[in-house]
Amino acid sequence: MKPNFIQKVTNWGNFPIVEKEMKSEDSFKKIKEFVLNHNEVIARGNGRCYGDASLGEHIFSTKKLNKFISFDRLNGIIECESGVLLSEVLEIAVPQGYFLYVTPGTKLVTVGGAIASDVHGKNHHSEGCFSEYVIEFKLMTENGEIITCSRESNADKFWATMGGMGLTGIILTAKFKLKNIESAYIRQESIKAENLDEIFRLFEESESWTYTVAWIDCLQKGKDIGRSILMRGEHAFQHELPQSMTKNPLRLKKKFQLVVPFYFPGFILNALTVKIFNFLYYKKQTKREVKDFIDYETFFYPLDLVHDWNKIYGKSGFIQYQMVIPKKSGKEGMKKILEAIANSGNGSFLAVLKLFGKDNQEAYNSFPIEGYTLALDFKVNSKLKKLVDQLDAIVQEFGGRVYLTKDSMSKSSLTNYLKNVQSSKFVSLQHKRIINNK
Amino acid sequence: MIVLGSTSEVAQAFVEKALQEGEKYEKIYLFTSSKETTERFARHLDVKFLQQAEVIDLDLMKEIDYTKFDHINSNVLFCAVGYMGDGTEEGLYDHRNTERIIDINYAKLIPLMNYFAQKFESRRSGTIIGLSSVAGDRGRQSNFIYGSAKAAFTAYLSGLRNYLFDKKVHVITIKPGFMETKMTEGLPLNPALTAKPKQAAAGIYNAYRKQKNVAYVLPVWGIIMMIIRNIPEFIFKKLKL
Repeated sequence: MKPNFIQKVTNWGNFPIVEKEMKSEDSFKKIKEFVLNHNEVIARGNGRCYGDASLGEHIFSTKKLNKFISFDRLNGIIECESGVLLSEVLEIAVPQGYFLYVTPGTKLVTVGGAIASDVHGKNHHSEGCFSEYVIEFKLMTENGEIITCSRESNADKFWATMGGMGLTGIILTAKFKLKNIESAYIRQESIKAENLDEIFRLFEESESWTYTVAWIDCLQKGKDIGRSILMRGEHAFQHELPQSMTKNPLRLKKKFQLVVPFYFPGFILNALTVKIFNFLYYKKQTKREVKDFIDYETFFYPLDLVHDWNKIYGKSGFIQYQMVIPKKSGKEGMKKILEAIANSGNGSFLAVLKLFGKDNQEAYNSFPIEGYTLALDFKVNSKLKKLVDQLDAIVQEFGGRVYLTKDSMSKSSLTNYLKNVQSSKFVSLQHKRIINNK
Repeated sequence: MIVLGSTSEVAQAFVEKALQEGEKYEKIYLFTSSKETTERFARHLDVKFLQQAEVIDLDLMKEIDYTKFDHINSNVLFCAVGYMGDGTEEGLYDHRNTERIIDINYAKLIPLMNYFAQKFESRRSGTIIGLSSVAGDRGRQSNFIYGSAKAAFTAYLSGLRNYLFDKKVHVITIKPGFMETKMTEGLPLNPALTAKPKQAAAGIYNAYRKQKNVAYVLPVWGIIMMIIRNIPEFIFKKLKL
């Protein structure tokens, strides 16, 4: 048997699927050879972006760059290779009283991926993007050279790489800051909102909370449009915790992991089942307001508890559509978006609403701008492209943009905030699609 | 713990698994032919587990100076040395390829194994874990040079287990089957028959705790190899395996 590195590769949405070369290496020398020997290369982490962002002609998988380099336990500064997962960082950091400043909704992304997407979390309004806490990283450039990028040296590359979707080179290692925590638990409040007006009011009232996010039932129409549950949270101090959590406040018990064993048949997820799910989810919380303490995994990463949950969407796959609409027209824009979705009948199983704070001007390739962002999962079917076109038109009308990490079929004008990444070496299928769509 | 073949992902995953399970070692000795990547692993162990590790350069194809290993003492030895080489037709008649496969998997490896086995024997304690291969269970046309070297290694481990039994040293033979590692990257493997390094490490750790003699990483390989071993030769020789 001779190795053949051509294989089927797809990201989390299982759409699109391509047959391309994928290889991984842990020796920097061999990575250099790989870069020099191929015309078009793109780095790929754990494949948790949804669309075609990390797909290309020759894919370099960073999964073997999975070592820690240093951990300054006094100052909470950690350095690791780019293929280390955020979950692995947390495994080390949490028992020592540290947490990631910024985390996306899954801990199964790599550190390199977090930089390339400049991920945001439930705390964007208060603490910004991942890039704010990165001290420096090492980048392999087109000619195989390894350069160190920070705010002081190679600053142009530093900022272009933040949210640069891997188009500036291969991130090899990264050093970043962690935040102090006293416990592995979150003091959470969940509040039900009956409609869009109420949820927007709640977001604005909750601005002093570090973490806020809302789950939204996107199949409601008329006066119920925007029916949702707001969740806000703070890292719990030890003295706040209930007795049962004080014994080992920085350690969590191992949880039972659910596994989706195979791709669900296409008919399982349809307008009716999504409606039932959303109805039950909203009704599960009987009181208007619930205050409790939950562990960080449940608060930040509820979906990580279901291994391979992407298979629920069947073999045709799904897309995630995440857009942001500037704050001044946020409510009006969201209303139109939700109306369009409800009218299409193409329900989203999971719809998450958030308020972004001010953007960091220096990190110009980052997705967030001040405004409301909505993330929606849609199963891929024949009607989907039409809905995406409709949604794109609304986002455009209000001057919004679409998140490159989630994008797989949007208009290029909504993803063209990406700058200073032109390279003949580092090329992704997504970037080609965006450029050719002009 | 002494690790031979430290760049192996399974070896690294096994070390991490043992440390996660709370095993304590005064020092971990990482033998390797690739110093750059192994030094990174040593630092990783220090960051993640506050575990001291020493990297020792070793090229089995060169003369070995055993005096350099005098200070090394441990009660666990994990041998993940392996070289698959080129199993194709061109590879078969390439004598350099053939020599390298035999030397790394067996001829040059055994004296080194014996050196440490003797230390274990004189201490009258310890466990030696050797990664052999299902390829050694029966010679097949696709990779029988590698398979024959692994068959020899399997026989060596079996004899060593027998020899060290009343000297209180235990020897475990692991037959991994397909694993998703550097060695097999790019090969079209059936996912149901292929273990990830972490999964393999957990299986091997389990075999270590239970002091098993011979273990397959995925149980299904035990059944597959039982069938393959029992196909009558007059049929087997006609098969394309």
